[in-house]
Amino acid sequence: MNWVPKDVDTYINQKDYIDTIVVPLLSIDTRPETMKNSASSSEFLMNLSMFIEKQFKGRMMFMPPVSYTQSTDLQQLADTLSEDLKKSSFAHTFYLTTDAKWTSVTVEGKVVWLPSIPLETMDDHLRQTIMEDQLRQVLTHFMEKWNVQ
Amino acid sequence: MSNKVSRRTFLSYTLMGTGGFMASAMLMPMIRFAIDPVLANTGGSDMIPTPQKAADLTETPIRVDYTIKDRQDAWYTSDESNTAWVYKEGDKVIALSPVCKHLGCTVNWEGDVYKNEFFCPCHAGRYKKNGDNIPGSPPLGPLDEYEVEVIDGFVYLGGTIPNTLV
Ligand code: FES
Repeated sequence: MNWVPKDVDTYINQKDYIDTIVVPLLSIDTRPETMKNSASSSEFLMNLSMFIEKQFKGRMMFMPPVSYTQSTDLQQLADTLSEDLKKSSFAHTFYLTTDAKWTSVTVEGKVVWLPSIPLETMDDHLRQTIMEDQLRQVLTHFMEKWNVQ
Repeated sequence: MSNKVSRRTFLSYTLMGTGGFMASAMLMPMIRFAIDPVLANTGGSDMIPTPQKAADLTETPIRVDYTIKDRQDAWYTSDESNTAWVYKEGDKVIALSPVCKHLGCTVNWEGDVYKNEFFCPCHAGRYKKNGDNIPGSPPLGPLDEYEVEVIDGFVYLGGTIPNTLV
């Protein structure tokens, strides 16, 4: 599900089935020399999020990406997010990011980190293959949590 | 005098004509844009080519990925990639929508446990090969079908229609 009114209506009626929220964490680097890299990771993360959403629409709600600039205090952001997400009623929380800094942050829920792959030079077919590959990687993390219940 | 007037009349007609033509050139895509979603729902939409050769199909469903140009979503204007499960029944090419009729996840052919069936990983939804939902699993209806045409040996897919095989 996407964070749009129509999908949220479905969610409200099907809470038992849509039990997982995914929060893409999007790092934005404003320095001219790193801007391009930042944009590339952003493209990758958004594409991957849309791809996963399409495959698992009926079980996952995708938040619009939580974006932050380079000097944001991540631990503080993590604490705020953990606190606020407690008020939602999802059984599972996942954060999806290409920013390695999140691997050393404590947060409620699971951080799924994966290195960004530059998609800008790839054709549709290659993109599709890469997305499927990445999905398989990410999926093991989701399955791990889902199977615990 | 009359010569002058007629030339001016001629000119203004020409300009109006050009203007009218330009306006219609601008309007047409807008009208098309406004009407298109309606058309898509009635199944009367355009047939989209896929890279799949009809001759290579068998009785086992395979995944066919294809691209619909220029779709829009909340963030990007981009080409939309789409998927169908395609197989042959005798000479007939059958294409099923991978969208689970429970809550819309993408179904796979043959999970680890159930053979010769479609399987939805979200809540263990199950469908027979013709798309018929298997009672006792969450989906309440069969998978949709795509309109199919074979043109020059390649599979073309149109809009989705309610399953006609079940
Ligand atoms: S979305 Fe397919 S079984 Fe629930």
